[in-house]
Amino acid sequence: MTHSRPRHARRIAASLTAGLAVVALAGCSGGAETSSAPAADLAQDIVFALKEDPTCLDPQQTSVTTSLIVGRQLADSLLDQNPDTGEIVPWLASEWEASDDLTSYTFTLREGVTFSDGTALTSEVVAANFDAIVALGASASLANGYLAGYEGTAIADDSTFTVTFSAPNVQFQQGATTMSLGILSAATVAASAEDRCQAVVGSGPFVLESYVPNDAVELVGREGYDWASQLREHEGQAHLDSISFPIIAEPSVRTGGLESGEYDVIQDVPYVDESRFGTDEYRLYAKANPGVPNSLVLNTTRGPLADEAVRQAISAALDREQINVLTGSLSGSAPTSVLTSSTPGFTDLGDVLAFDADRSEELLEGDGWSLGEDGIYEKDGEPLTVTVTAFYAQDVLEAAQMQLREAGIDLQLKMVSSGDFFGAVASGDYDALGAALTRTDPDALRTLLSTESAARWGIVDDAELEALLQEQAQTADADARQKLVDDIQQIVAERAYVIPTLETVQLHGSRAGVEGITFDSAARLHLYDTRVVSD
Amino acid sequence: MASPEQRAAPAHGEGGARAIARFLVPKILQCLFVIWATYSVAFLLMHALPGDPVLAALSLRGGDATSTDPAELDALRARYGLDGPVWQQYLTGFLGLFAGDFGISIATGQPVIDMIGRAFPHTAAVAVFALVTGFVVALAFTVWAYIARPAWLRDVVAQIPPLGIAIPAFLTGLVLISVFSFGLGWFPASGTDGFASIVLPGITLALPTGAIFFQVFSAAVFDAGASPFVTTANAKGLAQRTVVTRHVLRNALLPSITIIGLQIGYLAGGTAVVETVFSRDGIGRLTVDAVLARDVNVVMGVVVVVATVYAVVTLIVDGLYGVIDPRTRTRLRTGKAATR
Repeated sequence: MTHSRPRHARRIAASLTAGLAVVALAGCSGGAETSSAPAADLAQDIVFALKEDPTCLDPQQTSVTTSLIVGRQLADSLLDQNPDTGEIVPWLASEWEASDDLTSYTFTLREGVTFSDGTALTSEVVAANFDAIVALGASASLANGYLAGYEGTAIADDSTFTVTFSAPNVQFQQGATTMSLGILSAATVAASAEDRCQAVVGSGPFVLESYVPNDAVELVGREGYDWASQLREHEGQAHLDSISFPIIAEPSVRTGGLESGEYDVIQDVPYVDESRFGTDEYRLYAKANPGVPNSLVLNTTRGPLADEAVRQAISAALDREQINVLTGSLSGSAPTSVLTSSTPGFTDLGDVLAFDADRSEELLEGDGWSLGEDGIYEKDGEPLTVTVTAFYAQDVLEAAQMQLREAGIDLQLKMVSSGDFFGAVASGDYDALGAALTRTDPDALRTLLSTESAARWGIVDDAELEALLQEQAQTADADARQKLVDDIQQIVAERAYVIPTLETVQLHGSRAGVEGITFDSAARLHLYDTRVVSD
Repeated sequence: MASPEQRAAPAHGEGGARAIARFLVPKILQCLFVIWATYSVAFLLMHALPGDPVLAALSLRGGDATSTDPAELDALRARYGLDGPVWQQYLTGFLGLFAGDFGISIATGQPVIDMIGRAFPHTAAVAVFALVTGFVVALAFTVWAYIARPAWLRDVVAQIPPLGIAIPAFLTGLVLISVFSFGLGWFPASGTDGFASIVLPGITLALPTGAIFFQVFSAAVFDAGASPFVTTANAKGLAQRTVVTRHVLRNALLPSITIIGLQIGYLAGGTAVVETVFSRDGIGRLTVDAVLARDVNVVMGVVVVVATVYAVVTLIVDGLYGVIDPRTRTRLRTGKAATR
């Protein structure tokens, strides 16, 4: 309380000089970092066009970006993570501590936090949240991933509790910063999975006013909100009085509406329209999804991909810069590791993943492959054909297909529905999967590759890698863990278990008069600091 | 003391009722058959598709975190009535329809009947607007084309309405949005809020609808125009307006009623595109979403509702035939002829 006073005073001073600030800012509106206050004479209401129906608003159940853009405004998390440094800071929990073996975490809750239905945040509510997530099972896969091995939550008193796991769980601390483990009111977690999708009550800076599927979501600012994390720019209530999220499925209608002023912010600006909104009248918000970039995730137990030389040849034959130019955002860069550049723990492996057509050729010829008449390598009469199963990013795969064709490798695309994709994952019936895995921790690689992972996509048999993957998940010391994570990235990239193709960038746009839209560490949006500064 | 006339009257009435029943009952049975057949075919198609509907619906919400744990999938399958043998699912689903139970959407977890109930009025509003507008515009063009002189002008006028079919609704919609929403700001570009939100999608659909109406009207009207009774009417010196309204348009009425049934079938499909472009909640968009998510329960629900609307409209149209067409009317009155 005492140390918040100067900040508070500064905020009042800031709003007093708001008019002045707007004038002063007019000259530097191109910059990403601004510190102007909301304009006093303008309504603090924005219209934010979403690209699809959120389907389910409950942040614990859904992992779809669109839903989380809404959910993030409604629910707070125990902890927060600085997207730039990866540092974890307090939020709803003022203090926390992990046991040395990472099997238990003790939290102390911040005082005075309430949910928008008026009930207080207590240890009991948090315990009910975690218990409910485990009970949701498959309906809350991502949240359950963070709670792997959950044994229970022991309540010491109203504001102190200990979460225990049957095995070391390194991802829980980071998971506690995400919306997947966002804390909802006792009444919400007691409701059925279906009801929670339609309405959730959290302790966030905004409150759900209405949700009409396929039409719009309406939020209003929460009066008396006073527990933003220190990563936010201000304290107290959100600047905005309301946010309206119409659901606009057609991209050209979203961009047209941003131009005509019907929408203040739009989700998912198509990459082709990026330069059109690169002027001073608009702002673009771009961030690579953290986790594993768009990649070919390989099944090394069958076909030519069982052969390491073939895998490495494929990796060397891909010109990722060109793929990025052809299919990526102007704001994006080619992947230089098997984690994206926005993931904490990312290591630059640009040399390992460099485009090298000669090396690709050497690898294949050294391995006994010879060019057939049709320009495709073959060995023992079998052509070098690999099939990739995917349900999105067909353009990326087509670019890769083109490049591999030139290197004498035949990449066949099998575009399926998302259900069939996961059907293939369940049965293990594929050569390679084409997809990205969004997670905010390098543990994403364990999720993807470990033989013990429930969401295992890459099928590899590598004892050395497996041991490293398990060890990093049990190492609390940040430096020691980073060392392990470096080794893991090196091995996965060098032995080409995962062959990255593109860092997918989330690209949103707003008009210049709306400021303070920020990404959280999971590349979802915070609208708490957002304000309208000019028409 | 009953007079012969009095005795004859009820007998005639009874005969009439029986005739009407004889006329209507087969049509009602036909209507029920259409609904049953549609349900069955849709059921077979949805179940013949490869892949797992529960996994598909789950992946809509779970994204890259979708669980593929067989035990968890089985639990969800039981919950959404997708477990057990196929014939059992078929029977349970079909019998449920009579109790108004359309099951639960796998993708959203909401009762299917609620989702359809929410979306249906939005679609119906646009469809009715498009039907009425299309009808009126087509009528106006028909009359214009009929009375236009000289012949070349008549040909030009007759060539305009078919454009309504040639231009895809998707394009029309986008053009209307950029001009009337983003440019002039007269109508909203999206949403289902009030009459203003119906206008642009309604016009988008009215174009192809009107074009089809025009084809049918103009064929009938020009046929009638060339027939002897119009020549007679003209020869009698009746005013052009009287000839058009009394003789020519009346003859165009019958085929246009027939076409309404077909038009509603067309609108059911056309709304999917329009509802996507105009970001409207409605049956079309619901269907597209459900098909993409393999949400079998919603697809079956929509199929049954659309089939019912179509069948009922056809029934009404057939019934109207009985009232409007003098030949059918006569058959109904005499009773005997109907059994032919």
